[in-house]
Amino acid sequence: MDKNPHNHSKADKFWFPLDNAAKIFPAIITKQVTTVLRLTAVLKQPVKIKPLRRAVLLTEKRFPYFKVQLKEGFFWYYLEHLPQNIPIEVDDKPCCRKFARGRLMIRILVKDNRINIEFSHILTDGGGAFQFLKTLLIVYSKECGADIPAEYDLTGREEEIAEEEYEDAYKRYFQEDLPPMVKKSKAFHLPYPLKPPPRFERLTAILPLDRVKELAAENGVSITEYLVSVYLFTLQDIYENLGPLTRHKKNKVLRIQVPVNLRKIFPSRTMRNFSLFVMPEIDLRLGHYSFGEILKTVYHQVQLETDEKLINKNISRNVGSERKIYIRSIPLFIKSLILRIKHNALGPAQYSGVITNLGKITLPPGTTERVDYLILSPPPPNKVLKINCGVTGFGDKLVLSFGNITTSKEFEDKFLQFLKERNIEVKLEKNQ
Amino acid sequence: MVRCSYCGVELEENANFCSLCGEPVWSKETDNLEYIKSRKQEREQKLLTDYQKLTGFQKRMVFWQISGMILIAGSIITLIIDLLASQGITWSRYPVTVTLVLFLNATLIAFWYRRVLLMLALSFIATSVLLVLLDIYAGNTGWGMQLGIPLLLAGYVGIYVFIVMVRSSKQKGLNIIAYSLIISGVLCICIDGILSLYSGTSLHFGWSLIVMASVAIISPILLYVHYRLKRVTDLKRFFHI
Repeated sequence: MDKNPHNHSKADKFWFPLDNAAKIFPAIITKQVTTVLRLTAVLKQPVKIKPLRRAVLLTEKRFPYFKVQLKEGFFWYYLEHLPQNIPIEVDDKPCCRKFARGRLMIRILVKDNRINIEFSHILTDGGGAFQFLKTLLIVYSKECGADIPAEYDLTGREEEIAEEEYEDAYKRYFQEDLPPMVKKSKAFHLPYPLKPPPRFERLTAILPLDRVKELAAENGVSITEYLVSVYLFTLQDIYENLGPLTRHKKNKVLRIQVPVNLRKIFPSRTMRNFSLFVMPEIDLRLGHYSFGEILKTVYHQVQLETDEKLINKNISRNVGSERKIYIRSIPLFIKSLILRIKHNALGPAQYSGVITNLGKITLPPGTTERVDYLILSPPPPNKVLKINCGVTGFGDKLVLSFGNITTSKEFEDKFLQFLKERNIEVKLEKNQ
Repeated sequence: MVRCSYCGVELEENANFCSLCGEPVWSKETDNLEYIKSRKQEREQKLLTDYQKLTGFQKRMVFWQISGMILIAGSIITLIIDLLASQGITWSRYPVTVTLVLFLNATLIAFWYRRVLLMLALSFIATSVLLVLLDIYAGNTGWGMQLGIPLLLAGYVGIYVFIVMVRSSKQKGLNIIAYSLIISGVLCICIDGILSLYSGTSLHFGWSLIVMASVAIISPILLYVHYRLKRVTDLKRFFHI
């Protein structure tokens, strides 16, 4: 079988196995938990459809490894090349819908002045998906007449596609015989009732980037650490306002999952999943935390957990279990069952919230002037997690996107209220 | 600059239709909200075919009319051929009677779809009459009354119980397989019993007990998996290879 995307004109379609992080997703996908993430570019002008079509055709050539469908083997799922064009549709249906089997797992949705890209998490994480969006925006602005420096424009240089771009980078940084991880206790979860399906709803808040940066710098932390602290403080507030009986029943550890883009720690050009998590926590059995105390502990926990050696240990745990011969030889349907049960026990049960920060994004000048801001919407949270949050910075705007499947907006209100009290102007944009 | 009134993207100057959503370009009244709204409804309507727009009852009426036409036309043709070929009604009474009973059953399904008990009872009577008639045509040996109707009754009762069980189960999965196994086991016992009564005089059970014994082992396991291990009840996922 041919694993090389360069030769996909051959009758033999190229294929590759799922990367280590993606292996869990096919087992847990449902109509509600779609594991589809969305990136939105809000332009200053309405989208020009013809240049966009041309841009998509050029861009998809540069990323052949995204034009794949999910297939099931006897022991594992795998991704197989599907020679179709990436669909461009009107964005008038619920967002982050599940991808059908036998189709591409990427779609482009357009409405007014927004270009949205939806990716299945099986293909890539926010970092990889963003590379695609970035290339698309650059080519689009070029098609619209902007002058783009040659080093930014990746299209037309298909011969440069390196094997590294579609490797499973976890495997490269795997080391054998590292000690196992310690299992974490169950965490607190928000008490709100769920909405009836389709339940996924988003709330986008636009904040001034400089002001938030200033505020974080005053406290000696990064923007991510600051927002994680606000997240924990809000959860603590919600916990403390619960009735005594519910409070007694709830787990008392508040823990936030913060995805870390490993490309920044381990050099890799992979466009597939390559992220892990740090999970800063506070334990409410020890009493009430002031915001200052939370900032301090979050800062230190993040510093400690992003240590290269500790991340290596995590990778080894994840990859190591996948390499064991007795696990590899379990038929796929049993494996999926085990993965589902494992995911229920070890996944969202361990954390109370997710905040994922794509960081500050830069584009070449000709593209920058066309883009107003960018939004990262994480995949719909599951029934346990209920709410999650994606963050992106572009230009002078910091954009938070809350995904919510409950009937309550208390969490978002409290979170944003906290920022407003610190003189941060919050602009809301509902479910666009 | 031309903008699509529905999806808001910018189109070519000379475009007549939006290449993204297929909306015709409306140069004058793009801000007319009511127009946009009615267009949206139209688009949703367009997605449905004429058949999809019918209600359940209308669909069943279509089914009834079509099956009625085919069955009645078929019987008339059979009758005519029989009349021409043998100068009287001989063999054609078999297909015509069967067709008539089929048509009666189609009618019952079309009009009493929701009232399962009534539908099944009437269908049972119609089919019993068919069996008796077939018996009479074939020389009146009495099998229709003694064998046909009891077997038919067992079958109908089995189907009725199964429908009730399926409708009353909230979560459908392995339990449906378990129910169908149990009911087929019981049916086998009935068939065995009725056959033994018909052929001999005493009631005794043979092969059906083996069937029942195996069913009695398998269905509790299925029910256990369904009700105890709730996580794996989704059949599709469970048997997903």
